[in-house]
Amino acid sequence: MAAGWRLVGGWLAAVRGRVGGAKEPRVDSVRRMSVAVRGSGLWKRYGSGQTQVDALADVTAEFGQGRFTAIMGPSGSGKSTLLHCLAGLDKPTAGQVFVGDLDITRLPEKQLTHLRRDRIGFVFQAFNLVPTLTALENITLPLDLAGRKFDQEWLDTVIDTIGLKDRLGHKPSELSGGQQQRVACARALAARPDVVFADEPTGNLDSRSSADVLAFLHRSVRDFGQTVVMVTHDPTAASYADRVLFLADGELRSELLDPTAESVLDTMKQLDATAAAAG
Amino acid sequence: MVRLGLRSVLAHRSRFVLCTVAVLLGTAFVGGAMVFTDTLSAALKKNFSGSTADITVTPVDPVGVRTGRPATLTSDTVQRIAAVPGVAGANPELLVRDVQILGADGKPTETYGLPTYGGAWPRDAATAPFRVLDGRPPWGGSQLALDQSTASREGYVVGDQVRVVTGTEAVTAELTAITSPPLSGPAAGAPLVTFDPATAQLLLLGEPGWTSVGVAVTAGSDPATVSQAITKSLGDNVQVRTADQVAAAGENALDDAFGGYSAVLVLFAGLALFVGAFLIVNTFAMLVVQRSRELAMLRAIGASRGQVTASVLVEGLVIGAIGSTLGLLLGIGVAAGIRFGYRRLDLSIPDVALQVHPGTVVACYLVGIVVTVAAAYPAARRAGRFPPMAALRDEVALPERSLLFRLAIGGFMLLMAVVLYLIGVRARGLTGAVLLAFAAAITLLGVVMTSPLVSRYAVRALMWPFGREAPVILGRRNAERNPRRTSATASALMIAVALISGLLVIAASAKASIERDITDAIGTSELVVSSDDPATFSPAVADRIGKVAGVESVHRVRQQQGKAGDRTVQVSGVSDGTLDGPITAKLDAGSLDGLGGGQALVPRTLAKTLDLSTGETFDLTTNTGRHGLTVAGILAPNRQLNAIVVSLPTYASIGGATTDSVLYVDAAPGASPAGAIRAELKDYPTIQVRDQQAYVASARGPVNVALGVIGMLLGLAILIAILGIVNTLALGVVERTREIGLLRAIGMDRPQLRRMLRVESIAICLLGALLGLAIGVVFAASVQRVMVDDGLSVLDVPVPQLLVAVLLAGAVGVLAALWPSRRAARLDVLRAIATE
Repeated sequence: MAAGWRLVGGWLAAVRGRVGGAKEPRVDSVRRMSVAVRGSGLWKRYGSGQTQVDALADVTAEFGQGRFTAIMGPSGSGKSTLLHCLAGLDKPTAGQVFVGDLDITRLPEKQLTHLRRDRIGFVFQAFNLVPTLTALENITLPLDLAGRKFDQEWLDTVIDTIGLKDRLGHKPSELSGGQQQRVACARALAARPDVVFADEPTGNLDSRSSADVLAFLHRSVRDFGQTVVMVTHDPTAASYADRVLFLADGELRSELLDPTAESVLDTMKQLDATAAAAG
Repeated sequence: MVRLGLRSVLAHRSRFVLCTVAVLLGTAFVGGAMVFTDTLSAALKKNFSGSTADITVTPVDPVGVRTGRPATLTSDTVQRIAAVPGVAGANPELLVRDVQILGADGKPTETYGLPTYGGAWPRDAATAPFRVLDGRPPWGGSQLALDQSTASREGYVVGDQVRVVTGTEAVTAELTAITSPPLSGPAAGAPLVTFDPATAQLLLLGEPGWTSVGVAVTAGSDPATVSQAITKSLGDNVQVRTADQVAAAGENALDDAFGGYSAVLVLFAGLALFVGAFLIVNTFAMLVVQRSRELAMLRAIGASRGQVTASVLVEGLVIGAIGSTLGLLLGIGVAAGIRFGYRRLDLSIPDVALQVHPGTVVACYLVGIVVTVAAAYPAARRAGRFPPMAALRDEVALPERSLLFRLAIGGFMLLMAVVLYLIGVRARGLTGAVLLAFAAAITLLGVVMTSPLVSRYAVRALMWPFGREAPVILGRRNAERNPRRTSATASALMIAVALISGLLVIAASAKASIERDITDAIGTSELVVSSDDPATFSPAVADRIGKVAGVESVHRVRQQQGKAGDRTVQVSGVSDGTLDGPITAKLDAGSLDGLGGGQALVPRTLAKTLDLSTGETFDLTTNTGRHGLTVAGILAPNRQLNAIVVSLPTYASIGGATTDSVLYVDAAPGASPAGAIRAELKDYPTIQVRDQQAYVASARGPVNVALGVIGMLLGLAILIAILGIVNTLALGVVERTREIGLLRAIGMDRPQLRRMLRVESIAICLLGALLGLAIGVVFAASVQRVMVDDGLSVLDVPVPQLLVAVLLAGAVGVLAALWPSRRAARLDVLRAIATE
């Protein structure tokens, strides 16, 4: 069923691509292999007139398959909005988002829901788990909702990696914050999604638990070839990524490859200085 | 704090709507009942100002019942009253109920439940119980008078031929006069037919006699003094009342007559408020949890416990006041509707404005507000207990009182219920049934208290057949999540279903018992002849049936009521051979032989109550006084003859009328004379000739009426229970906004979300329905057990109907989930996730 949707979706996108071809350059075959998610000319505008705010102003970004990308920026820079638009939780005012080949900005609600279920994984800052379900039930929830059979081997691998094998029968209220976030990560990966979006996954955690969660995300990219896009404001967290995008006032300002905490901090200082000079 | 409470109600308007509706329904029934009763009694009191006699003398009715031949005064008594000093005139009057006036089409006139009265034309218009409006007095057996509203309703004018059926005779006579309806006493406002006094005595009583004497006092005499003089002269087998006393007594009689309507309305009000209270308790509990942070913040900035509690109670007060106001208005509307209905029926109840007494207003507000505030109190008290620190913490740890206390109380209640049950089962008869009803009520409360303990497992077991798909598991877990809330929500439905299933079982058992008893009792007779309203008919009927071809024999049964000890009993006179033929009387002791010698058969229950055995003598009081009877035998329970049975001559000697109540007709072998008998009795339209099956069906009629009332109770109780479930689900959706957002974000689609909520709703409904069903059926079966000698000889559990009730509960669950799940499905995913 879900696989069917993917096919139909892909086909629809292909047809659309052909029809609207003049507007948007066709994605070449090499790119299709390597790009997991692509945002193109994204605008997100709130309000109108005096109170008009552009949370995103013409952002174009690609997120390669098997890569761990961090999005950084000060509060109100639009980084969460970008993540929500890329994940199909929010609709951009203008622009397009492609998950693989599929333009998700035009998908109806139901297909978008199924897309999130089958091809996207989520980790939020807090309240990630359904309190009535056990850790294991939470992990398999997207699969259960889709009515899909789980790949037991993959599931075992993921569970081994989060290191909570003995706590799977516990309810979220019986787990620590760090453990809860690791369970959330495992859930995000359980369906082998095209991409995992993490919105400040360590925002509520102490440094030790943060390190556990980030190490897990890092491993899932390095060892299992998953794609992760993470929003954070913590330079240390960003240093786990392969690449960091810097956002300010809704615009993409800078990019850093193979970051360290120091280089991230330096870039942020530079951006602050530029902003201060501009202001 | 008051302002805070008001603001909170305004801010959470939609969450309080359902609470308000529950209060509204409850108070509407209270208000409606009171306004309707007040209006009716005001209307009828208007009538009593028309009572004209200064003093009224009536015979003391030793039995105190309304059916059968009334107690009478002789003409001799009238003479003696006239002779008392101060009496200007003593006018004997006759007023007998259970007469039928036929319309021009030959069918009985519709009286909308009022009995029709037959009376004697007054000798003196000044003291008559009604007024003459038009025409000349009727004379002899071929002339009569009708009351104005009956005449106009049926289109009769003076000069028309009118057919009337009385307890003794059916006659056709010319309408010569139009009167008002009876102005006073229990007959006030009822349809009335009058004849000249001699004819009236013959047609209505079958013998001479008067039912009252209207006395006019001489000018200057004090009615009270004269009334004492009359009492002195006649002794204490008459009742002497002045006009004032008659009016007061008449009002009491009216309250009795119309008390039934009020009682039903009050029953509805009680049920609505009781079930509604659960809804209110739940709503407040949930709202307080949702607002825990806000309330803790109040504590942090210096509000005392008491102030926080007060702010929540003010919310209860406001909702109670709003609900009561709307309920009162609705109640007045309901009463106006009933009054409008009555006016449309063209009954001669005088027209008065709707009576909204201050007492009604006070009662509505009192009931509405007290119930709401009391129901809000537990939540308010908890609100005061939030520690100020809770405001700062992310998730508020609720100071939940352990279930232990609840369980202890609930367990104690269940224990009490068991003890009561055991006593009840041992005490036979009505006492036992009442004890069992109490036990059932306490059990319900006990289960309400203890059910959180078991609800989790019960829900799991109930929802097992629904599969293990993710939405089902999530819905089920939501129902298990807060056992108290689930239990409280289910409790409302449980009480409703317990009540209804219990009544259903009792009604079905009553039906089955009637069927079996009649089948037993009808014996070998092919046909049963009886009459409704008047319940008796002329002995000529039996004579005429006896002459119809194909009829082998006719057995007469005559019935009246009497008193043995302080119990009202049925007394039956039967013709010879009746007990060996159409009625198979089973005797516990003694024999039928004594009947011919003036002895009596006594039913088992009565024999037990009076501690009688064969050969002993007991006193039976009838309209003609006390009569000693010797026990010939003890009757085993038998519906047709749950009465003291005597032979016809004995029956006459103890004051029984010479009119028949039931005839059993034996047909000659191979003959089927039903058609011929019906043709023969064409001029007696109230008489029904039925075969066995038709007779059973007619005996079941009252049970069917009872089932109708049960149906209405069901509707109301379920309506309020639905409100409760909708409320719980809707507030649950608000409470779990973030969780729903998360589920939607990770891929739950809208149908799955709706399904999740539907499952939760169905789980709650089935829990309530099955608990209620179990309690209702068990107690009803026990009631049948103890009433086995009192009319409920057979237990019948109407399984299909009960199954329908359970399915209905499931359907209610689906219905109740509609609105909350629509709301949940419409939630914006991003906002839901961001919700605090």
